[in-house]
Amino acid sequence: MMSLNIIVLVKSVPDPKTPPTLKVDGSLDLKNVKIVVNPIDKYAVEAALQLKERYGGKIIGLSLGDHDNIDIFREIIAMGVDSFIYIKDPDYQRFDTLQKSYVLSRAIKKIEKDLGRVDIVLCGVESSDTNMGVLASQIGEWLEIPSISYVDKILEIKNGSIIVKKIIEDGFITLRSRMPVVLSIADTGYEPRIPSLRDTIMARRREIPIWKTSDLSLEFRETVLKTVRFKQIESKRLGKIFRDEDVDKMIDRFFEELKRDGVSLLR
Amino acid sequence: MNSRDVYVYLDVVEGRISINSLSLITKARELAKILGGGVGAIIVGRDVKKLVKDVEEYDIDVIHIIDHPKLKDHDVISYSKAVSEILSKTRPEALLMISTALGKEIASRIAVRLRTAVATDCIDLYIDNYKDPVSGEVSEKTIHCIRYVFRGELSAVVASPRQRPFIATVRPGLYPAPQKIFGRKIEVKEWSIEVSEDDLMKTEVLEIQKIERKIDLSKAKVIVAGGRGAKAEGFKLIQELASLLKGEVGATRPAVDAGWTTPDRMIGLTGQTVKPDIYIAVGISGAPQHTIGMRDSKIIIAINKDPEAPIFKISDYGLVGDLFVILPKIIERLRQLKS
Repeated sequence: MMSLNIIVLVKSVPDPKTPPTLKVDGSLDLKNVKIVVNPIDKYAVEAALQLKERYGGKIIGLSLGDHDNIDIFREIIAMGVDSFIYIKDPDYQRFDTLQKSYVLSRAIKKIEKDLGRVDIVLCGVESSDTNMGVLASQIGEWLEIPSISYVDKILEIKNGSIIVKKIIEDGFITLRSRMPVVLSIADTGYEPRIPSLRDTIMARRREIPIWKTSDLSLEFRETVLKTVRFKQIESKRLGKIFRDEDVDKMIDRFFEELKRDGVSLLR
Repeated sequence: MNSRDVYVYLDVVEGRISINSLSLITKARELAKILGGGVGAIIVGRDVKKLVKDVEEYDIDVIHIIDHPKLKDHDVISYSKAVSEILSKTRPEALLMISTALGKEIASRIAVRLRTAVATDCIDLYIDNYKDPVSGEVSEKTIHCIRYVFRGELSAVVASPRQRPFIATVRPGLYPAPQKIFGRKIEVKEWSIEVSEDDLMKTEVLEIQKIERKIDLSKAKVIVAGGRGAKAEGFKLIQELASLLKGEVGATRPAVDAGWTTPDRMIGLTGQTVKPDIYIAVGISGAPQHTIGMRDSKIIIAINKDPEAPIFKISDYGLVGDLFVILPKIIERLRQLKS
């Protein structure tokens, strides 16, 4: 049986259900936001777990951030990753994608020294906060290895190559890539597992080592992309939501409202 | 040409220059005029030299081309190497590319190669002075790009005041097709690159599955679409409502995967993009992969049992409850209205 060394990248983001509000200067007010794991990253974790179940190996979770709320990663450990490393940098909020991908690729190199080799690096297609979708390709370029974004499903690993189904604009494309490879996983081909109560309790006791970026011997420290300001998108939607125990009453109100707004469903 | 030029990456799709990428020329000219630079185009690939004649009457000043037999479709590494080669020699102010899956991958890698900034899925670009919030230093006439963040709840303005070129991928369909200027002669510069064996064969295409578009949902005035919550039973009701409203049936990816309807009715990232007058979302939670294909519909009506479902945030009318109770009653009501 082959044995794969897999790294899965997990980002912490403001809870997408309650996005941050803005300060008067147009910057994000992050003081009261709840930090959670980027939802789509769980699909990458699931992909990693299924690879391990099929081919054997080891999964290491890796995250970069500036907060102290490491307990949010315990859900990922409970899902089944073998260990988790958190890189903490107080300047993280100023990092652009180039800097983030560089720091993570240095960390992957460091992990590789301990493991001997890394076969597959996985992440979610994009984060719910910045919506950039560039991480997999940028890490691939920093490490000078192939990368494939928008992966629907990993199909097979054979003779040092991996075969994946990728989403493109008008369908799918099946690609074979050499390993090591970086893949970004979409939320289409996998269903993230919900950890059992036992695994959730076990995960509470696990240690999560915290690395500093200063331990990673970084040569490139620059933020080139600057965020000038944020703006709230005003919803142009009417947002008339109807709720009633009595469905007939609810539908009455719905049709009354349509009539008042001059909307006709029938044509 | 000087370093305040704006370049456009012209996508080659099935042997032709994509119309979407051509529309970026219009925007590039607008920006270049303010910057006092010209407009350049980049075409790379295999057997692409013959495509120059298809674009030489557009409003471009120079075309940079790399035609190499070893540049294969979907080979992100060698394509980003080729484009980076041209950019590092010409140093334009910015490179605009169309936001496709492949385009974003190439853009991301170029940014690492050139240690420069990339912003994806821009919805517009403009020029303004950039003032550094710490040093107070002003960079005059800097390209700013607007893009959605937090799943479309906020927008962000970003800029790359120091590093050139700024790589921006732009959502398709924002700008009109560029003007043709008859009899215009464009300068064509051909560049060469080394494509080593090491660059190649890292990834190869095994199969391409295109979704057959038997039904063009983009022309439908009314769409009734079902998601995971609709189930096979719900799709019968959806079909009934769609016929009653003289509309079409649409679906999310999970509903198509479950076999409740055909793949040509899929709406969203993998499917079609629609803007009907009325969009009725039934048992659809509102994942971004779906909403990207329907969020510009004129009126959105959602039926979902989960009051927290994100679909309600982008809806004009929302009905919270069991679709199997609500839909038959709506159908009945509409039948009465009709007769």
